[in-house]
Amino acid sequence: MNTLCAIIVSRGLDEMLRFCLKSFFESADQLYESVEVIIADNASPRPYTESSLSERRIRVLRFDVQTRFAVACNRCVKECETKKLIFLNNDVFLDRSSLNKMLQNSCRAGIGVVGSWLYFPDGRVQHRGVVFGHGDIGPYHLNRGQFLDPRSPFEEYQAVTGACLMVNRSLFNQLGGFNESYQFGLEDIDFCLRVRQHGYRVLCANAGRPMHFESFTPGRVELDGPSRQLFLEHWRGKYTIDG
Amino acid sequence: MVHPANYSLSIGVENTQSMGKKMQKITVIIHTRDSQATLPRLLDSISWADECIVVDMESTNRTCEIALQYGVTLLSTSIVLRVDGIRNNFIERAQHEWIFILDSDEYLSADAGQVVRSLLEEYGRNRDIFSIPRYNMIAGQIMRGSGWYPDHQIRLFRKGCVRWSDSTHKLPELLATPERIQRLEPPGCLHIHHDNYDSITQFIERQLKYSLNDRYPDQGFSFERYVAMAYEEFGFRLDEKNDGELSFALATVMAWDRVMRGLIHWEKLGRKDTLSHAFSLPVTTISRYPDCIFPSDVEELRRRIQEFESVPGLKMLKKLVNSLRKKNSRIVGLMKKMRKYLFK
Repeated sequence: MNTLCAIIVSRGLDEMLRFCLKSFFESADQLYESVEVIIADNASPRPYTESSLSERRIRVLRFDVQTRFAVACNRCVKECETKKLIFLNNDVFLDRSSLNKMLQNSCRAGIGVVGSWLYFPDGRVQHRGVVFGHGDIGPYHLNRGQFLDPRSPFEEYQAVTGACLMVNRSLFNQLGGFNESYQFGLEDIDFCLRVRQHGYRVLCANAGRPMHFESFTPGRVELDGPSRQLFLEHWRGKYTIDG
Repeated sequence: MVHPANYSLSIGVENTQSMGKKMQKITVIIHTRDSQATLPRLLDSISWADECIVVDMESTNRTCEIALQYGVTLLSTSIVLRVDGIRNNFIERAQHEWIFILDSDEYLSADAGQVVRSLLEEYGRNRDIFSIPRYNMIAGQIMRGSGWYPDHQIRLFRKGCVRWSDSTHKLPELLATPERIQRLEPPGCLHIHHDNYDSITQFIERQLKYSLNDRYPDQGFSFERYVAMAYEEFGFRLDEKNDGELSFALATVMAWDRVMRGLIHWEKLGRKDTLSHAFSLPVTTISRYPDCIFPSDVEELRRRIQEFESVPGLKMLKKLVNSLRKKNSRIVGLMKKMRKYLFK
């Protein structure tokens, strides 16, 4: 049985997805464990076909109507039986060492979620952990857009981005998966906070130099507003202000 | 105060309760014949249906066994040449009000159950028929060109509102007024996914089978009309921008299919009518984009020469050399001497 399953929710951007998968499998080649991929085809105008992706380890789950990220992810998790899950965005290109380093961190006792440092194509930091500001500021990416190098193999945060997030399937199911009330965005932060409520830690690892273009899919950014409102309604005052 | 982990749970329960009040039940009907390769995928995708009837046409492989494994109602019928006609007989056997008809090489998406239920909830009272777009996959490619997409199909309807004629893959007769038909418009709506043909060869084979087994009227034969239909079909199906070379191949097959039908019809009527010879080879290979797709070598060469001649610098250089020759005879003499010296 496979150990790790990557879950990628994607709409269109076929070539981007192809590169994402290529980098994932290159990174997976460095592991002893075997991997599989489930792609949630979130109403792409031209559906993905398993034959066009030409890789036997990939399964495609087609959604005809555009579905919330959380719903699509939870549905995909029902389809797989692996011990570990990694959620990836279609515009995240992993480094060869990424999966290995993330798995190492994820296997330690008491660790719930492992994220990764992510970089913009020009080398600036896209993600190194999520911190929380006062009042309406809420969660944001620490040092986003700065030139910065990691100083330690991992750091602990209250949350990490769902663009590249590793978690045990048993823990994911125990928490009931992502919260499906969110339109698109912040369901990952919500999930991390719930992981911490259950007594597990959230880490962000220095896992090579994976790249993240961020919000490449058309029409994606407009959905952020309602999600943020919902998030603050539920979580305001329940997180530590660290940003 | 609701714990965050329970939001989705509580909302989910409310949804099912509100749906439960007016839930419309659905029977899926599938016609199979030696469909063991495609049937599991289809049955997996319709597990949400309230009832599923598989009508098998004397399969010789594991089709029936697979159907029974999924716990469907299995009915059998004898082999018929035209599938559409027998659909009517089995609609009556359905227990529920709404019927969803699928072919064995089709399947639905992972969210289809939810989408169909919400469609029925939204339109179930005022609509009788849903016209659903279909993705066709031919020779490993999902077709997006005109003529192949959206390819609306009448498959989801209230019992008694649709009647098929005795043919193959034609649209059925609709027993409802147009305002009671809901046409789903892509993108972002329910689709039927159709894995049509593995290769162009299989496509040709199947088209020929359909035309050989189809019914042809006893009167009103005109070969010219079939040829006109061939041209029409070719224009309708050709969409190289969306589907590339494959579009051209399939458009050609479809056009020739019309001509073949003409000849079959002609022979069935006893070869009494005349075939106009002028129309015997009707489909010319005219592309909409002749320059990109069929660059004729001669044309290409001619264009390049013209381009070369039109470069301003070359002409000026020629003029300059000539004028130098005329003006300065000493230079010319010097050049001659140098030439002799060099080539001795």
